[in-house]
Order: sequence, then structure tokens, then C-alpha cells
Amino acid sequence: MKNLTLSIIAVIMAFVTVSCNQASNKNEQSSNDTAVVSQEQSASQPKEDDTVAAPVVSETPSSQEAKATGKGEAKNFSIAPIVTDYLSLKNALVSDNDKAAASAGKKLLATLNKVDLKAIPADKHKQYMDIADDAKEHAEHIGENVGNIHHQREHLASLGEDLKDLIDLFGTSQTLYQAHCPMFNDGKGAVWFSENKEIKNPYYGSKMLTCGKVEKTINSK
Amino acid sequence: MSLKKKIILGLAVILIGIQFFQPLRNQSDEVTASHIERVYNVPQNVKAILTQSCYDCHSNNTRYPWYSLIQPGAWYMARHIKKGKEELNFSEFGEYSARKQRNKFRAMAGQVKDGEMPLSSYTLIHRNAVLSPEDKQVLIAWFSTMEDSIK
Repeated sequence: MKNLTLSIIAVIMAFVTVSCNQASNKNEQSSNDTAVVSQEQSASQPKEDDTVAAPVVSETPSSQEAKATGKGEAKNFSIAPIVTDYLSLKNALVSDNDKAAASAGKKLLATLNKVDLKAIPADKHKQYMDIADDAKEHAEHIGENVGNIHHQREHLASLGEDLKDLIDLFGTSQTLYQAHCPMFNDGKGAVWFSENKEIKNPYYGSKMLTCGKVEKTINSK
Repeated sequence: MSLKKKIILGLAVILIGIQFFQPLRNQSDEVTASHIERVYNVPQNVKAILTQSCYDCHSNNTRYPWYSLIQPGAWYMARHIKKGKEELNFSEFGEYSARKQRNKFRAMAGQVKDGEMPLSSYTLIHRNAVLSPEDKQVLIAWFSTMEDSIK
């Protein structure tokens, strides 16, 4: 009798397994499909929405070209919210505060996810997507790494480069100072941006607060 | 039948039952066109280390040990592999933007240098995936060269 119950249970389990597997396979497939569709949509949307017939840029335009055609059109789109979040993240790391850095990282990620992609000029769309894709990853990691401030700082270094490229593309609405820390990343150096001229190094915090120098002043537009 | 026996029997049934729930295997014979070894010239010694210590969780092809067939070990492992591939997938490395590739090389060097990777929970069982100091040097040097080569 007991053996019978056991075998019944086993058979039921086997059936459930099979049906579960099928269901999950289907789910995976359909979610893959939607992913493709939404990607296509986001790629085609900016072209459709532009009233001015923007040239279809399939290859990455050289940065000079982008500068020549850009800037003026970028009026609707501003990276100001991204800059604001970056600055509070940077300041958290200046004061060696991993928890504040993590929450600033999460906020930056949320801001990046909220960006209205349609507002970005078509000729800069691809470049923006590359940068944002990368920046999101760094922001996410910083958010997840309470207790590992060194790792948060490594990601800040990559974010600094992302921000530099964003500023090159879209300009900034507030005056920023681009500073350089020669020691970070095994002597390869790292940039950071600050709202103040005064050096406060986010890569080493209190250990070497005044190490580094301002390379460039970026005026607001 | 005593209560104790029933409980043991129940557990045995559950244990046998979950053996039927095997996650999909992360295995593929194909070396994808965007695999790092197709996109970059990976030196033999680097390749050997990557295969031994990295590809199990960071590529589309895992060498499964026997115990990964036994549940719940297989679930645990599948979760690790999923997360690992999300962070970095050598089989899709060529699909990353130049920016992302550069950052990945930098991050790899950092993770190896800090001893964060391979994960200690992984090397606990896979003893041969442990990186020797020489292995680390080789990897870090190559990652660093690659980082600088991508502009």
C-alpha cells in the first residue's frame, strides 16, 4: 500500500516536472520575442517621431561630425539630472561614505532608466545608448556594493569616462571642473567631475583628499 | 509506522522528487562568432587559465561536474551561471561596445587582483580553478594590455 502511494507521488512529480519545464520554456521564448520587438521599437521610434527628416546614421559618426550637427538640437534633452546624481555620488565617495554612495548609485540608475529616449537627437542616439548602457551597469554595481568602497570607486572611474563623453555630446547646464587623479587604477589615472574648483579626491577620500588637479573648466551652455 | 519513519520517508520522497526538476543546461558545442577567442588573439597561456577558471560561469559552455546532476546542487549552480553570464559572457564578448569591452577588461584585472574572482564559493569545490600567483600575473598583464589597446 505504502509502495503504491509512493509510486503515485513519483508519477505525479514526473508529470509536474514535464509540464513545468514546458511552461518555463514557453515563457522564456515569449519574453525573448517581446524583448526583440521592444528593441526594434526603440530603435525606430526616434526616426518616426522626428518631424525634421534626420539623416539615418547607421555607423557611429565621428565625434567632430556630431559636434558640428549637434549642440543646437540638443535643447530638449539635458543631462542635468544625470550630472546631479553623479555629483552626489562623487561627494559620498569624497567623504568615504559607502552607504550614501550606494544610495546615490541607485538613484543614478533610476534617473538613467527614466531618460526620455525620444528627446535625444537621432544622430546622437546610438552613442547615447552605448554610454547609458555602460553607465547603468556601473551605477548598479555601486548600489550593490555597500561595504566595498574600493569597488565602488573603481566603478566611479568608469562613470567618470561615461560622463565625460556625455558632456562632449550634450554639453552641461552647470559649470563643471574636470579633475584628474594620476594614481588611481594602478597609475593609469582617472578623471572625475566636480561642481567646485577645489580638489576633493573621490578616489581616495580622506586618505589623499587634496591629491589631483583640475584639468579643464567646462562652462555651462 | 512511527512518526520518525514517516518524516524520513517524506524527506526521501521530496529529495527524489526534486531530482526531476533539472534546470536547463548551459552547454553548447558551438564557439560563437562573438566569442572572445574569435574577436581577439588570446595567447595560449591566457586561454588555458580562462578555460580552467572562468568559462564555467562566464560563457555559454559549462563543464558540469558529476555532482551538478544532483539536486538541489544543480539549481544553485544554474543561478550562479545565470548571474555570471549577466555580468560577463566571454561567448558574447564581441557584441559588447568598445566602451564596455574596455571597462570589462579593467574590471577583470581588478577582480583578479583583489582576489574577488573566481568566487571563493566556486573554488571551494573546484580546487583546480584556484589562480596561482603566476596565473594572476599573466591574466592581469593581458587584461591590462587589452584595456589599453581599445580606444
